[in-house]
Amino acid sequence: MSEVEQVHFTEQRLAEIDALVKKYPSARSALLPVLHMAQEDFGYLPMHVQQLVADTLGLRLMIVREVVTFYTMFREHETGKYRLEVCTNAGCMLNGADELVQHITKSLGINVGETTSDGMFTVTEVECAGACAGAPVVQINNEYHEKVDASYMDAFITKVSSSEEGGQV
Amino acid sequence: MTTLFINDEEVTVSAGTSILEACREHGADVPYFCYHPELSVAANCRMCLVEVEGWNKPAASCCTPVGEGMKVTTHSESLAKDREMMMEYLLINHPLDCPVCDQGGSCKLQDYTVEHGAKHGRYSEVKRAVVDHDLGPFVSTCMTRCIHCTRCVRFADEVAGTGDMGVLNRADHMRIEGIVEDALESELSGNLADVCPVGALLDKPSHDVARPWEMTRHKSTCTQCPQGCDIVIESRGDKVIRIKPDKDGVEPWICDRGRYVHDAFRADQRIVAPAVREKSGLVNVSWDEAIQASVDVLKDKRVGIIFSPDWSVEGLASIRLLHDSVFKDAKVAFDLHRRDMREFAFEEGFSMSSAQIVAADQVVILGSDLRQRLPILMQGLRKRGNEGKPVTRIGAMNYRTNSDLSADALIRPREWVAVIARAMQQLKDLGKTAAGMDAWLEKVEERHEAGKLLADALLADSCALLVGEEIRSHSDASALIHGLDLMMRASGHAEAGADGRNLIPEGMNAQLLSAVFGDIRVSAGDLLDAASDGELDALVLIGSDPMGDGLFSMQAKRAMGKVPLVQIGAIAGQTSEFANVMLPAAAYSEVEGTFINMEGRIRMAEHPLRSLGEERPLWKVMMRLVQAFGEEIPVVNLTELRARIESFLPEVSGVWDDDVTDDECLLVARNRDANSMPNAIEPAMSLDVVSRYSMYREGMWVRASSYLVEAGDIHALDDLLVHPNTLKDAGLSAGECKVRTTSGDYDYHIGVREDVAEGVLFISKRGVAGDLSCEVMASLEGGQ
Repeated sequence: MSEVEQVHFTEQRLAEIDALVKKYPSARSALLPVLHMAQEDFGYLPMHVQQLVADTLGLRLMIVREVVTFYTMFREHETGKYRLEVCTNAGCMLNGADELVQHITKSLGINVGETTSDGMFTVTEVECAGACAGAPVVQINNEYHEKVDASYMDAFITKVSSSEEGGQV
Repeated sequence: MTTLFINDEEVTVSAGTSILEACREHGADVPYFCYHPELSVAANCRMCLVEVEGWNKPAASCCTPVGEGMKVTTHSESLAKDREMMMEYLLINHPLDCPVCDQGGSCKLQDYTVEHGAKHGRYSEVKRAVVDHDLGPFVSTCMTRCIHCTRCVRFADEVAGTGDMGVLNRADHMRIEGIVEDALESELSGNLADVCPVGALLDKPSHDVARPWEMTRHKSTCTQCPQGCDIVIESRGDKVIRIKPDKDGVEPWICDRGRYVHDAFRADQRIVAPAVREKSGLVNVSWDEAIQASVDVLKDKRVGIIFSPDWSVEGLASIRLLHDSVFKDAKVAFDLHRRDMREFAFEEGFSMSSAQIVAADQVVILGSDLRQRLPILMQGLRKRGNEGKPVTRIGAMNYRTNSDLSADALIRPREWVAVIARAMQQLKDLGKTAAGMDAWLEKVEERHEAGKLLADALLADSCALLVGEEIRSHSDASALIHGLDLMMRASGHAEAGADGRNLIPEGMNAQLLSAVFGDIRVSAGDLLDAASDGELDALVLIGSDPMGDGLFSMQAKRAMGKVPLVQIGAIAGQTSEFANVMLPAAAYSEVEGTFINMEGRIRMAEHPLRSLGEERPLWKVMMRLVQAFGEEIPVVNLTELRARIESFLPEVSGVWDDDVTDDECLLVARNRDANSMPNAIEPAMSLDVVSRYSMYREGMWVRASSYLVEAGDIHALDDLLVHPNTLKDAGLSAGECKVRTTSGDYDYHIGVREDVAEGVLFISKRGVAGDLSCEVMASLEGGQ
């Protein structure tokens, strides 16, 4: 394996994981919450972080890989500061999610899954966000924005881009 | 037991059986992809749907247990429609490239499409394509054909124990992927192609070579390790295309060594014609000339014979007949790993069957890289480990097993006596003893804590000892095995019928060899030394390559060229350079013969392939030689030969008489009067030498197979390895060092690995340092 940076959970995190594992019949059951913790700590889940999770829980790397790649909320690559996650499942699709994705990617000049060159925005399509009543839904850094249309997104992008600190969302 | 009705027929199966298994047992045809009798149930292909009376929808029969009085229908109009829809769904992304796919003709997807599929496809949208990956020299991939049954994933997880296959992503992006890019980590990887029900994972060496319907199948026995798996050799004409496990055999899998050795059957290294050395080199001659040349070399000479244990029973017995007729005083050796020729308390071979070992309460692996030595038995132990049953290991190297061991102790070879003494002491303290145990115990002062693992295991109701190469090759092996035998008796296993004394043999036919050659065998090392020292006038090698295999390559290299050599066999190998005469003997795939495996299971090969050239079965070559020496030929046909074998080994009598092969196993010979006591010799040097057995390197056949040679080059270890503390104690660092042995000093590169026991010089047999295998001890000093 090539040179990878050594990463570790903090002592406090390890204690949390320990407490968590005890709640389940097997360590494998704690995989999802631990992956969320790892993503919180390290920003995203590259291979060496997945290996760390596997080692911590005593699982095979492949089991961790399977879970990470299954769920869209786990990210294997570095993303922009703002993750624009557009739900494209049935409810949102019928309410214009596809057009919304097209509009966002066109106005940012990137494709789905890509990050703008200034490192500000990443656009992804995600599976059902569970908020069909507010379709189309865009989740921006863990916050739901409902009944979104092109002008809402334009305003958001402009606001964030113009704000020096990145703005409040 | 549960009684149910399958298609109105009343059947009784054991409770908890799935409907699918009940149907299979009783000949009701239910289609399936993801179910595999050796793997866990995934129930993801939905092909095995059946109707159960009173249920409002069809049930996946693979994951539905039978119920009392259940009425199951396997064929109905509604099921036909369901299956047609399932097939349509599975075929959406399948490329339908059967004409160019190797699986075509033996493909479940193809068969079921014909049987259950729609007549026309309705799907006209874009199909997806999936990137292939490199899974090493044995498995080729075409992942677009994959139907995601996950059999390969479960195989890697449950059988191979590597867990290096997985399902990534989901829905339309779902794909099966290996975690490594260069090769699978498993010694069983060749089975993946068999496990895959479609053409996604294929056998790489036979890729694009032949069609299933062009091949003829020859049932045979693999002789590449003592396990002697039942195999089917598939050939097109006389050319071997591939080897597969026999579906009716004892084990469902075979290892890569036994599977891919077929490359050697047609390798350039095969001896296909008799040859005699002239000034220009080896020249092909007629059989008569070659036999005469052999007589000229060997007549009235002091002869040493080294042969391979892997010939058929008939071939081996004929070697003894040759010995008794012509070379009565010849030295004979066949074991290239045994130093101590004193009697062993239990001879080589297993007193338990593999199934009994897997089911035993305790299993202890003593000094063996079992994954490489007996991959299929190790697979059984892995299955056992998955069920939470204990497997203990004691040995000089933390060999990779791809399974969880319940206890593991690293010791160096000189500590074996102390380990056994510690265990013996524990038994004695518990009041368990056997005649002679106190005397053995008195000879040893030291106690090693690893012995507790051994004693604890021995105290279980049934305990299987797997005595490996580290003990068998030990210079005090007889005493160690005597010690183990004493403990087996003391703990009551020996008499209770659950005899756990299993000594992993050199090769096949161990039970026959100890019966036929027990009185004349000598150490191969001594024999070769005798040739070097002028005590022998000629050597005969029969399918054995002491230069490449075993512990005595240094002695072999010294002896070669000193005395004339007659080489008889199927593979030329490196000794052919020194051969004065070469006589071709047919390979194990090319003879009608009998084989005995480590468990004492007898197998007969009855439909051999045709020989490539002028090879003759070994027993005919031997008899021809007897005749050429002017002696009376002891046997003239197989029936007579077999009658002679029955006189050597009465237990085999009857096996050739009827067509029915019963699976009764031969017992392992015991030497009840063996009483070797441990030697209390102060070790002269600081390190113990342990030589590795590599399934990709050991054996003439294996080295002639380019596939296995390629596999052996993956995951390379350094040639010589020691524990970091060993180097630290000697004040050295990894790199060039001087290895001091009793036979001289050598400069070698030393690598470091924590898996090696401290105080051990581990020879991974990758390169030049293999010659050090003959040493028992060594020490390290700084290099130049």
